[in-house]
Amino acid sequence: MGAKFIGVVCAAIVVLAFSNAPATAQEKTGAKTGFTLKPGTARIILMRPTIRVGSQSTGGMSEPNADWTALAKEYIGKALADAQTKLGNEVVGYDEGLSGEGPITSQYGNLFSAVADSVIEYQFFPGNRLPTKKRSKEFEWGVGPGLNQLQSLKNADYALFINTRDDYGSTGRKVLQLFAAMGGVSVTSGVHIGYAGLIDLKTGELVWLNADRQMGGDVRTPDGAVKRVRQLLEGFPGRAPDQLAVVN
Amino acid sequence: MFSLLIAGLLGAAAGGVGAPSSPANAALPPFTVGYEPSTVDERGIWMEADERERRLGDSKLTVRDEALNRYLKDVLCRTVGQERCRGVRIYVFDVPAFNANMAPNGTMVVWSGTLLRVQNEAELAAILAHEFAHFELRHSLKGYKQQRRASDFAAWVAVLGVLVNTNTSGLQESLLGSTFQFSREQEEAADRLGFQYLAAANYPTVAASQLWRHIMAESDATAIGHGRKPKQRYNAGFFDTHPTDLRRAEYLAEESKKIGDSGRDARIESLRTAVASHLPGWLDAQIKLNDFGGTEYLLQQLASQGGWTGELLFRRGELYRLRGNPRDIVSSVQFYREALAAGYAQPALRRNLGMSLLRSGQKTDAQAELREYLRLAPEANDTKAIQALLTQ
Repeated sequence: MGAKFIGVVCAAIVVLAFSNAPATAQEKTGAKTGFTLKPGTARIILMRPTIRVGSQSTGGMSEPNADWTALAKEYIGKALADAQTKLGNEVVGYDEGLSGEGPITSQYGNLFSAVADSVIEYQFFPGNRLPTKKRSKEFEWGVGPGLNQLQSLKNADYALFINTRDDYGSTGRKVLQLFAAMGGVSVTSGVHIGYAGLIDLKTGELVWLNADRQMGGDVRTPDGAVKRVRQLLEGFPGRAPDQLAVVN
Repeated sequence: MFSLLIAGLLGAAAGGVGAPSSPANAALPPFTVGYEPSTVDERGIWMEADERERRLGDSKLTVRDEALNRYLKDVLCRTVGQERCRGVRIYVFDVPAFNANMAPNGTMVVWSGTLLRVQNEAELAAILAHEFAHFELRHSLKGYKQQRRASDFAAWVAVLGVLVNTNTSGLQESLLGSTFQFSREQEEAADRLGFQYLAAANYPTVAASQLWRHIMAESDATAIGHGRKPKQRYNAGFFDTHPTDLRRAEYLAEESKKIGDSGRDARIESLRTAVASHLPGWLDAQIKLNDFGGTEYLLQQLASQGGWTGELLFRRGELYRLRGNPRDIVSSVQFYREALAAGYAQPALRRNLGMSLLRSGQKTDAQAELREYLRLAPEANDTKAIQALLTQ
């Protein structure tokens, strides 16, 4: 609890530090070198998406909002169902069935989130790469081969994980931002993070990841959710370029 | 103009930050079965708590032992009453440290290290009642609102301070302090309400303060074991979320003196029975913490209740062998042999006794023990390594 308290209150202060550095060039999509997925050749399982929506208080604290989260779950769910048919391969929702593998697959979901965070931190920001990987174009990430032991995933080739997290800036935050700008201080308003990743179920390798810490689309509305899902699945392997237009 | 703004905000802070929040939605207590939070804030933190509980249910660290869980629930129900306890789900989480926590939606988490440390059912009841009090008093919600007020205000102070070129770090610091102060006040309130439940349930209330005495004695033993000076403070530090152990022990002892109920039954046996099957595993985890002083204290406490059993003696041998001073190795040999004499029959004892004998130069005895280990556990995964030791 202690660390959380310090974090929350300090966040209010730290956020106000002068930060006029230009946004550094950041990569948003990565795929395993040489990875291709032909349309109509694979069966993909869509795991239970992790969706959380809230607002951002004046001091920068994240305030969870149950109603917005419920709306976003509904709208994103619908938008995903629509997009599923247009991804070039068969995509079906995950069903634990009688396998009793719910707990272990949700742990793999947690592991995927941790790996995706590392990719964003240490691969997509070239400045953060390890000295030996500075110039490397390799994309070598994974969650280990254990997934191919799971009965509930046996008939599929890939698993698609989707996470989104939004905090909409409160009015107080926006007013603060305005006043701060007058003093030449940069205050950010709102958090919109989302990522989608594809795991090869045979090897556990992360073959594709699309991540953005400034996503568009208001997930609390049906249209916004469609836009968000389109952004999440941008560059999805195996989809013919012309199908992008169809999803639009 | 901005100075005026700051002055205005300062006035608002004096009344706003740290003040008790309005009793909105307090119509029904949160432990009511089927209770639905109705405000945006409460619904939000319940949603997050539900998500965390889902993860807890999936976690490998959650101890899935029906009998143990039923026992904990029974103790809670006995303490706070049947009607109140229904809104709570208790999870034992396998972490070798002393802690328990309560989520706003009625998820109570008790770490296994807590169950290793409580000396009787009354002490356990004191902890469960304290956590329940946080739930009943909606402390998560109130703490969340207080943090938001303090951080909102700190943000304005910082921004306006920049605009009028004034150093506001002192004020920001005091806002930060108000959050920790608020948390300490909540802890004391939970201690006091929990104490009332303990008293009403006919447990000896002196257990609530005795618990903190043991925890302090253990942390002193840990400090000495690590070559530090043991020290218990009465006043909490700036960043402390809880009152100090010493302060808690004193005000709880004060309360129980008023009642004078130390003759009541603390129910040692029922606790011992409930945790018996888990004790070896929890002790093994404790031993790996590299906390010689604290672990030796815990073993002594357990032995003072049920005597030096084979299980305890074996762990004591392990503790000494792992610290590994030459004198510790000699002591570990003695503890292993006492464990054998007390009937401890796990093959690992023979192996570890053999290793200790080897390190203290008694090669012949060591080889006899290692051979015995191989005979008892021919399928063990370290068979080859032990055989290599024997052919040296």
